[in-house]
Amino acid sequence: MTADALFSLLPLILLALTAVGLVLLIGFYRNLQLSFALAMGGLLLALVSLLPVAGVLPQQATPLLIMDSYALFFSGLTLVTALLLLPLCHEHWRRQTSLNDEFYLLFLLAVMGALVLVASNHFVSLFLGLELLSLPLVIMVGYPFKPGFTPSLEAAVKYLVLSGAASAMLLFGIALIYLHSGTLAFAPLEPGLIRLPGPQNPLLLTGLILALAGIAFKLSLVPFHFWTPDVYQGAPLPATALLATLAKGALFALLLRFYLLSEGYLIGPLVWALTLIAIASMLAGNLLALLQDNLKRLLAYSSIGHFGYLLVALLAVSQSLGTALAVEAVSYYLVAYLFSTLAAFAVLVRLSGEDREAETLEDCRGLFWRHPWLATTLTLAMLSLAGIPLTIGFVGKFYIFAAAVEESLWLVLLVVVIASGIGLFYYLRVILMMTHQDAGPESDEASAPHWSSHTVTGILVAATLWFGVYPAPLITLIRHLTLAVN
Amino acid sequence: MRELSAQLQPLWPLAAYFLAVLLLVLFILGVSHLLGERHRERATGEPFESGIVHIGDTHIRFSTPYFLMAILFVIFDLEAAFIYAYAISFRASGWTGYVEILVFILILLAALVYLWRLGGLDWGPKGQARKRLAPLQGHSRVLEGEAPPTRPNRE
Amino acid sequence: MLKLLWLIPALPLASSLLLILTQGRLPRAAVAALGVGSVGLAALIAFAIAAGFDMGTTYSQHLWQWFAIGSLQPGFSFYLDGLSLVMLLVVTGVGFLIHLYASAYMHPDPDYSRFFASMNLFLAAMLVLVLADNLLLLYLGWEGVGLCSYLLIGFWYQDPANGAAARKAFVITRVGDTAMAIGLFLLVREFGTLDIQQVLSAAPERWPDGSTLATACALLLLGGAVGKSAQLPLQNWLPDAMAGPTPVSALIHAATMVTAGVYLIARTHDLFLLAPAAQTLVAVVGVLTLLLAGYSALAQTDIKRILAYSTISQIGYMFLALGVGAWSAGIFHLVTHAFFKALLFLSAGSLILALHHQQDIRAMGGLYRRTPLLFGCFLVGSACLAALPLTSGFFSKEPILAQAWESSALLWLGALLGAGLTALYSFRLMFVVFFGPLQTPPQPLDMPPTIKARMPAVLLVLALLSLFGGALSLPLDGVLPATEAHPPMLVEAVGIGVPLLGVYLAYHFYLARPERLTQLLKFRGSRRLQILAQSGGGFDWLYDRFLRTPFIWLAKTNRDDAADLISRGTAGLSRYSHQLLAETQNGQLRWYASLMGLGLAFLIGMGVLT
Repeated sequence: MTADALFSLLPLILLALTAVGLVLLIGFYRNLQLSFALAMGGLLLALVSLLPVAGVLPQQATPLLIMDSYALFFSGLTLVTALLLLPLCHEHWRRQTSLNDEFYLLFLLAVMGALVLVASNHFVSLFLGLELLSLPLVIMVGYPFKPGFTPSLEAAVKYLVLSGAASAMLLFGIALIYLHSGTLAFAPLEPGLIRLPGPQNPLLLTGLILALAGIAFKLSLVPFHFWTPDVYQGAPLPATALLATLAKGALFALLLRFYLLSEGYLIGPLVWALTLIAIASMLAGNLLALLQDNLKRLLAYSSIGHFGYLLVALLAVSQSLGTALAVEAVSYYLVAYLFSTLAAFAVLVRLSGEDREAETLEDCRGLFWRHPWLATTLTLAMLSLAGIPLTIGFVGKFYIFAAAVEESLWLVLLVVVIASGIGLFYYLRVILMMTHQDAGPESDEASAPHWSSHTVTGILVAATLWFGVYPAPLITLIRHLTLAVN
Repeated sequence: MRELSAQLQPLWPLAAYFLAVLLLVLFILGVSHLLGERHRERATGEPFESGIVHIGDTHIRFSTPYFLMAILFVIFDLEAAFIYAYAISFRASGWTGYVEILVFILILLAALVYLWRLGGLDWGPKGQARKRLAPLQGHSRVLEGEAPPTRPNRE
Repeated sequence: MLKLLWLIPALPLASSLLLILTQGRLPRAAVAALGVGSVGLAALIAFAIAAGFDMGTTYSQHLWQWFAIGSLQPGFSFYLDGLSLVMLLVVTGVGFLIHLYASAYMHPDPDYSRFFASMNLFLAAMLVLVLADNLLLLYLGWEGVGLCSYLLIGFWYQDPANGAAARKAFVITRVGDTAMAIGLFLLVREFGTLDIQQVLSAAPERWPDGSTLATACALLLLGGAVGKSAQLPLQNWLPDAMAGPTPVSALIHAATMVTAGVYLIARTHDLFLLAPAAQTLVAVVGVLTLLLAGYSALAQTDIKRILAYSTISQIGYMFLALGVGAWSAGIFHLVTHAFFKALLFLSAGSLILALHHQQDIRAMGGLYRRTPLLFGCFLVGSACLAALPLTSGFFSKEPILAQAWESSALLWLGALLGAGLTALYSFRLMFVVFFGPLQTPPQPLDMPPTIKARMPAVLLVLALLSLFGGALSLPLDGVLPATEAHPPMLVEAVGIGVPLLGVYLAYHFYLARPERLTQLLKFRGSRRLQILAQSGGGFDWLYDRFLRTPFIWLAKTNRDDAADLISRGTAGLSRYSHQLLAETQNGQLRWYASLMGLGLAFLIGMGVLT
């Protein structure tokens, strides 16, 4: 490994150092504020280190990790998301009297897992990254909201068991793919070692679908989505937010890279399976959210639908028309989804009190009259998730449309339209609830919010609007950075 | 049709294996059903205690440190196994490998220090009482002997 | 000085925006200073420009390009010639006086700031309308004044009736505006531009006299004018519009906005000259309206409604003038009418204030001693309205009658009858309100004297203008075709005599021998005629019966149509599938795991076996 390759791993190394430092800090001097500051500092350093790293790209650092501009973009996105998310976690935990410093430690580990994922072009690093991301998540999901609070335990057990099953599927799938191709690196699957008739090789297909199932579980795509609402609801808000944004975003970046490098779009049955999953996810996710009264569950269902939309962009990859538009669509949509979802969670965190989390629709009743700014933020988030013009979500959805039209995926497009229509209902329902004039629950924001969570909310609102109205700079950046994936 | 059968060709051992498992399970269940004696008496449902009638409750409290120690041992034991793997390639991997294993061991050390500071290595109730710093209170409550949490009825 | 032209609409607009943004947090004195001051300044600039303006020339000021689509490149550009100058002076001058009056009249109102915000906005829109050099900008002002009219009619929105009146005005004028918009589309299609001067100069070259397209354009523009100026058949919103505060009625629904239709026709007179049929229709509409409105005014009991009908009728005269080709006379009548109708409305406003918001003339009477100033003002106003000799109304109405005589005897007869009716109802109002036994004693106003003094001051200025406005000469030569009519002496004498006869009849029936009137009303059929007059010709009933009812019936019948079934079916289907899917989310781990396994098996089966 050359010095440049080692240098290209600087963000990962910095995060790892921060994590070890945090372990020692907690061991010797336990102070939530200090732990938060250290974690933030580490994340910031890692983000800044991307600038010098950009100068030495691309680098294959060990056979496992590749630092190219695609990895750079998604590393940046992951770190920005983490930086926006961590203040929300702090806002949540600093209200509790229990000792929760370790949450930041686990958070850092999960971010490291995500960074490994977005830079992975090898099945081993895929699995490593995935587990590094998932295991801290299991513990974070199990963090009790307050002493004696048990739904989070239930959620953690569910997640652990099902996630274990999914990992097993993934491993089995990887083994079968290895049997076919003879390498664990992502490489075109044709021709393989076993020259069985055509791409219809049943072992390869089984392996691919098993691996897809393992990943689809983490992305909560139908029919591997069942855990999502229960875990979202049971987990403390910061863990839910992490699960919904960072974990899924990084994994989807990996899925796209694998799909492109392995030329999976040439394998008919795989495309069919993806199409089925996409259609089922869009419909089931949005239908399940339709009459949902719990906001956490609503966001869970909505995320199922959104990853269905993202799969549509994946399907738009083809040999004939190239990959540029699909990659752009996925990247932009991911940014849109991350920002909008984070904004929604930011509002929920801000509304939660010491005793209970704000999670039901009823908690939002009349929010416009109690907390106009929070209500505006949530409104923007909902509009953006629904894909209403002048928000970032609209541009994202427009991209998906454009990609699908380019590839003439009419059936899928029809489902996108129907699902978006259904989605509009429940997103607007939340907004409607906030405008109710009769007094809702008393003002929940007991203690004054931390300045950092104020800043985060402001940034999220600004980004949602700015990139919705003037998307050109972000598009240019994405175009510039994600071209290298092939 | 021939094509399909050709495709399925490599799968037949799998199918045979699956069938064999099924048959074996059925066989065991069936045989024990046929041969096993059936009677229903007063003590049938009670746990077997070598002929001694059991007394007291089975829900007894374990000593927490024992459990904790066991877990910690397993974890560090596993990690130590990696060092063995390194030892084989000690010469081949050279200085790079040496630095890498050093980093690995240092990280393990940091974790050990963390556990020690947290009181995870203290044996006995005295140490536990001194440093009640375990982060996951939900667990420790159960371990202290309270009734385990029940699944709340949701949905 | 001409460079400052843009300031004239900009000043009221700025003041309006400021008042809107401060949301009534300014003190009353500041609101009045802003609201009245901005208009006063605009009026000063207008007069300064008029003083230095070389009559017979034109001036255009291009501010910026609005947008450009092909050859259609409307700009924010103002165009000043004799006609727009006259309108400019009337709008700013009378507008300033009425604003000054309103600053006292509205003083006790809690929404003082909102009132002036709307009034200033109206003035800005009206000035844009008058100064616009292209029809699109004119349309912007046109819709702007419509909006402000809506806002001000419904100013006291707590009473649902006022809101209904505002909506009625808005919807009915919208009918006319739609016609006008279609007319504008037609012009764009034909000429590719909406610049008024370009259209007017290109039209005669392109269209022969009486061509269908010219007639269509003229008729569509007439539609817009009819709606805005409350002429037959879209006249029935104006009496209801009296729900607004009285200064609003004076400014918008008498002096300025409702005469926008007259201005529009005068501005585009070249089009109407190309379409004689349309021009004749203008005259016919005018005559019918003036007769109907004059007749309706006879039976009204609300003082403001009487004045509203008289406004409709006077605008009818202006339309008649335009229709028979007495262009300058029509505009002249517009100017004098602005003076004396503002005077009448404002006097009525003072009267209403003094009588504690009593508007029913049957509850008034014998006021001429108690309120001598108001009596004097009313006398001047009514005399002008009835066109008694030597008043301004006489000088403006006489040329119209003369030109009508030249054009057609029938039109002349209608106009003459209308003149008689005008004198009759205006002096009926005079006699009933100011003579006879005292009914309601007037009360002194509870207001600071310095503020209260503004009202009589404004009234005096307007009275002087009404009396001597006839001596004005308007700089319309070269803008509008000049016409001279010299009817026989006898015709002129009849024209002078009929109003006097009307005054005598009013004296006879309402003051000297009221019992004669009672006898007259006992005749069979006269009761029905009275009801017909009270309802303003029954147009409300007609529209309700033949437009509203069938429409509501149609909407009700169509309530459950097939399109609804689709949307309801979709909603039902979604709900059903939601419940079905929600069953799968039962919280059971084993259930989730088995479903996942099933799904996996299905996908693999699909993948391998297909």
